[in-house]
Amino acid sequence: MKRYSALALAVVLALAGCNANPDEKPDAGGSTGGTEKGGTLTILSASSDITFDPAKSQNLAITTLGLVLRRLTTWDVQPGKPAQVVPDLATNTGKTTDGGKTWTYTLKDGLKYADGAAITAADIKYGIERSFAPELSGGLGYHKSLLVGGTEYKGPYSGANLASVETPDAKTITFHLKTAYGDWPWIASMPAFTPVPKAKDDPKKYTQNPVASGPYQIESYQQGVAVKLSRNPNWDAATDQVRTAGPDHVVFQLGQDTTVQAQRLITDSGDDRSAFGAGFVPPAQLVQIEQNASAKQRLVTSDAGALSYLAINTQRGPLKDLKVRQAIQYAVDKRAYQVASGGAIGGDLASTLITPGIAGRVDYDLYPADPSGDVAKAKQLLTEAGQTSLKLTLLSENSQPDLAKAQAIQQGLQRVGLTVTIKPVDEDAWTAEVTGDKGDYDLTVSSWQPDFPSANGNIQPLFASSEIGGGGYNMARYSQPEVDKLIEQATAEIDPAKAQALWAQADKRILQDAPVVPLTYTKNSFLHGSKVQNFFVPAFPAYPNYLKVSLKQG
Amino acid sequence: MSTDTHLAPPAPARPPSLARRNGARDFGRRLIADRWAAAGAGAVLFFLVVAAAAPVLCAIAGQDPYTYDLDALSESGVPRGFGGGISAEHWFGVEPMTGRDLFAIVVHGSRTSILVGAGATAVSVLLGVVLGITAGFYGGWYDRVVTRIVDVLLGFPYLIFVIALGAIAPTSLPKPLLLVGVLAIFGWPSIARVVRSQTLALKRRTFVVASAALGAGGWHLLVRQLLPNLTATIIVYATITIPSMIGAEAALSFLGVGVPPPTPAWGRSIGEAIAWVQTDPMFLVFPGAALFLATLGFNLLGDGLRDAFDPKTRGLRR
Amino acid sequence: MRILRLVSGRLLSMVGTLLVISLLTYLVFVLLPSDPAQLSCGRPCTPERLADARAFMGYDQPWLQQYLAFLGGLFGGRTFGSGAAAVHCAAPCFGYSFQLNESVTQLILDRIPVTFSIAIGAAVLWLILGVGAGVVSAVRRGTAIDRVAMTFSTVGVSAPSYLVGLLGILLFGFTLNMVPVNGYVPLTEDPVGWLWHLVLPWCVLALISAAVYARLTRGQMLEVLGEDYIRTARAKGLRERKVVGRHALRNVLIPVVTVFGIDLGSLLGGAVITERVFSMPGLGALLLDAVGNVDLPLIVGVTLFSAFLIILANFLVDLAYGVLDPRVAR
Repeated sequence: MKRYSALALAVVLALAGCNANPDEKPDAGGSTGGTEKGGTLTILSASSDITFDPAKSQNLAITTLGLVLRRLTTWDVQPGKPAQVVPDLATNTGKTTDGGKTWTYTLKDGLKYADGAAITAADIKYGIERSFAPELSGGLGYHKSLLVGGTEYKGPYSGANLASVETPDAKTITFHLKTAYGDWPWIASMPAFTPVPKAKDDPKKYTQNPVASGPYQIESYQQGVAVKLSRNPNWDAATDQVRTAGPDHVVFQLGQDTTVQAQRLITDSGDDRSAFGAGFVPPAQLVQIEQNASAKQRLVTSDAGALSYLAINTQRGPLKDLKVRQAIQYAVDKRAYQVASGGAIGGDLASTLITPGIAGRVDYDLYPADPSGDVAKAKQLLTEAGQTSLKLTLLSENSQPDLAKAQAIQQGLQRVGLTVTIKPVDEDAWTAEVTGDKGDYDLTVSSWQPDFPSANGNIQPLFASSEIGGGGYNMARYSQPEVDKLIEQATAEIDPAKAQALWAQADKRILQDAPVVPLTYTKNSFLHGSKVQNFFVPAFPAYPNYLKVSLKQG
Repeated sequence: MSTDTHLAPPAPARPPSLARRNGARDFGRRLIADRWAAAGAGAVLFFLVVAAAAPVLCAIAGQDPYTYDLDALSESGVPRGFGGGISAEHWFGVEPMTGRDLFAIVVHGSRTSILVGAGATAVSVLLGVVLGITAGFYGGWYDRVVTRIVDVLLGFPYLIFVIALGAIAPTSLPKPLLLVGVLAIFGWPSIARVVRSQTLALKRRTFVVASAALGAGGWHLLVRQLLPNLTATIIVYATITIPSMIGAEAALSFLGVGVPPPTPAWGRSIGEAIAWVQTDPMFLVFPGAALFLATLGFNLLGDGLRDAFDPKTRGLRR
Repeated sequence: MRILRLVSGRLLSMVGTLLVISLLTYLVFVLLPSDPAQLSCGRPCTPERLADARAFMGYDQPWLQQYLAFLGGLFGGRTFGSGAAAVHCAAPCFGYSFQLNESVTQLILDRIPVTFSIAIGAAVLWLILGVGAGVVSAVRRGTAIDRVAMTFSTVGVSAPSYLVGLLGILLFGFTLNMVPVNGYVPLTEDPVGWLWHLVLPWCVLALISAAVYARLTRGQMLEVLGEDYIRTARAKGLRERKVVGRHALRNVLIPVVTVFGIDLGSLLGGAVITERVFSMPGLGALLLDAVGNVDLPLIVGVTLFSAFLIILANFLVDLAYGVLDPRVAR
């Protein structure tokens, strides 16, 4: 599930009329109601394994891990409302006395693990410490470079401890940061802020057998087949404001291709009536659902969320030339791209970097053109640049939806005389290549959903020069000191209004350099069985909220 | 043949060349009399012509496999109209999501399939025959080395290798060429095995032993005595290898490791069309039928050739 | 004594072949452009953390050293990292998958029941179907039965397995709702469910392979039926059933066993396409996932294991040859 957290959501399709179909009945689709208890919820997943080790997980707060593990803070996501950070194990979302450099949390009373032992602040400290161990790398690590001493710390297994996390008593935990960081309450909602009792930590096996603090514990784990969850008797609903824990059991069926997921849910028979698909519904099945009244009611589509974009490698030969990149802005056929992502249901056309729904977004379009592009203008710019017969490589993930989009880009660029060769590689190979140091590609199509809902998450990971290679996601390999400075200012700004203005300024400044072509604000569509209730997909994050799903009884 | 098991067809039950050699006239008569083989030959010829004339056919249809026609699609990307958008303009309809012409895609797809299939077969047969015959004839350490290489290659899970090679090959290397190379690498060993064992058998035959005793050189024996006696085996083997190779190429395209898009390939179209089968079945029918018929044609022809070379195995079909 | 020498010689060459295969696999995947350490670096990733991850996985070593460490692990086990978080992988250690946090040996063991269930069931089915159809066709040569069987077999050989499989799922799974659409249920957990989930993959694999075997058996049978000793047997007045059953079949089986051994061997090593189509978590699926995730240790381990099965099958076929056909044991 780790990849479901954020980026690389190239597979992104959804409904035009956003969240709900107008004719939808109140109890179907994206609605809430009373939570009925009982039943076995099945979640169909395309991945072949689930990483339950909080140190290694990139899971969103509202999906799989949230069922089993609690963090210091978490997200409250309700239909039609922006996501909020709320206390989970802590009594509040964090207190700071020095403008964001030191943060203190107090744990709630009566918190217990599944085995009955009390959850202590020391366990949270230990959980954070182990996320620094190279043996357990792979998770979301924003805290690692924020905490004092984090850059040098190598985890607790060699005996060292991280002094910048203090636990004066069993219920209090204090963090000392290098710089002021206003979004820290969001950081404290990430998987690494899960309590891990030191005595129960077996780094090899923890990923399949974590000590549960949430409403469910892992009953069985079969790699590639299924993960079964059953109730955690020691979870107390009174201490938890976001989890409703409706079903008695939750089963993840692994290795279910998204087409198969959708087919099973359209058929809606047997246990599949109590199931939902973790993956996006593919375009072909969206069409099928369109023609099926029962399935249509069970389709839930998010609002426009993640940004999908074409990254232009600004460090490669002719692409260093601004004119060439501007020509690409006009040459791209956004309409074909939109159709390839499922039509209007797959996303709205984009022109900015900060996505709709993020506070402070300013709408603008630096390169106005017809949705199919402006071939004449692109050709003219290329002639001005003296580049009329360019050959470019487009790196694409090797999956049907990705290749469909890559081809839509390719045929658009082909119209202005740019020869584009698609290089399909597997998902992880793609990740390795775009985040690696070599950067051996000219173009790539990607999609980005921030790890937390702030313009910071839209801009910094993709455009700060520090994020080029070495695992960073600056795929355009864009380096502009002016922008780096804006990012720095905006991050340090504690007044939200001022910070938002700075981010909007950065947004526009970056697109003046045309390192990426914004394509669409993607929408994700999910399908669920007829017994599934309280299933909804918020604007951010554009994924179902697993924590509130329940099953109709009787 | 299931691509899951292995790449090349199994050795013919009995090497045809060891059967009594027949007159050419006899052979031709038998082949023509076999209606199935004739039908197979017809299908093969048809696909060869289609592949060769693909650009011409597309020009006649006024289409090419690369141009998007978004107006042929509905809002949600599904072809408008009957049978997946079949019209005077689009003879086989259009591809969902892109509106590209399906006729042009299927016709150009035959090029990919046949080019890769025939190319891989040609290279495998060439390698297999040369290495097999020399190994069988010369024996000794050379034979042992060849046999060992054959063992190693037959021991490889080839699919995984092709996938990996696709990932490391530079983009400048044309993918069809790479596919031909990779399929040939894993295709020649089984041919070499058959040729080698037959060479071993022939070597002991009186006519070869006699020639050798009369002082014929190695080269003469190989080219003049052994090779002609292997021709039948080689022809039959090549004919039944082609459909296996076409099938393998399609399977690789299906798995997403064949020629990269937008170059048309039947296997990729089939893989994509499966998702659309309920909403746009014709998208599956055309490339699926093309792949099936081409494979069937080569198989029928191969059967016919084998029967013609070795009348014992044939059924009384007339 | 002679048999012993034959067997030991064969075993030795088997080991040699496996060594070459492991080396080649290693080389190909070392040349892959992606860096496995980068994938497990997390987000955001810093160069220092990347270096740490690389060192932990042993990818900071030159490839030859990595390969030798791998070989060492096969026989003596190995340990990754140090201190409390060290990971020990006992011999025979096919490597350790850092992405799945499991030794490759264990992962392979977990997947074996699935692949073996698919392969063995399908093999039994296609052997019965194929050899049966072949024998009947040959004995009733030229009749309607022969024609139907052979036409069917040509069609079967020409149909791509994935297409047949996918259409089968659509028809029998979704439309008729007769069998589960995909997945695997362990035999020990639910024998009926196990059977039910496997019926479709078995049939698809078997139908297509049976076609090959029918042709092979028929051809061989016709060959044998024309031989002198069969004529003699007939002349002696033996019943046709006895002639075919006792005298002919044995000779027919020799080439069939050869092909069968190799087919089964490669199928046991992972039915990549079938597992993909039916979403079965077998060795083939493990391998495809591993390639997709650039999980180098897993790829090398599974490839080697698959190769081992294929080569073992070859070896057993050679031995079976000796039993079925005494002439071969030179």
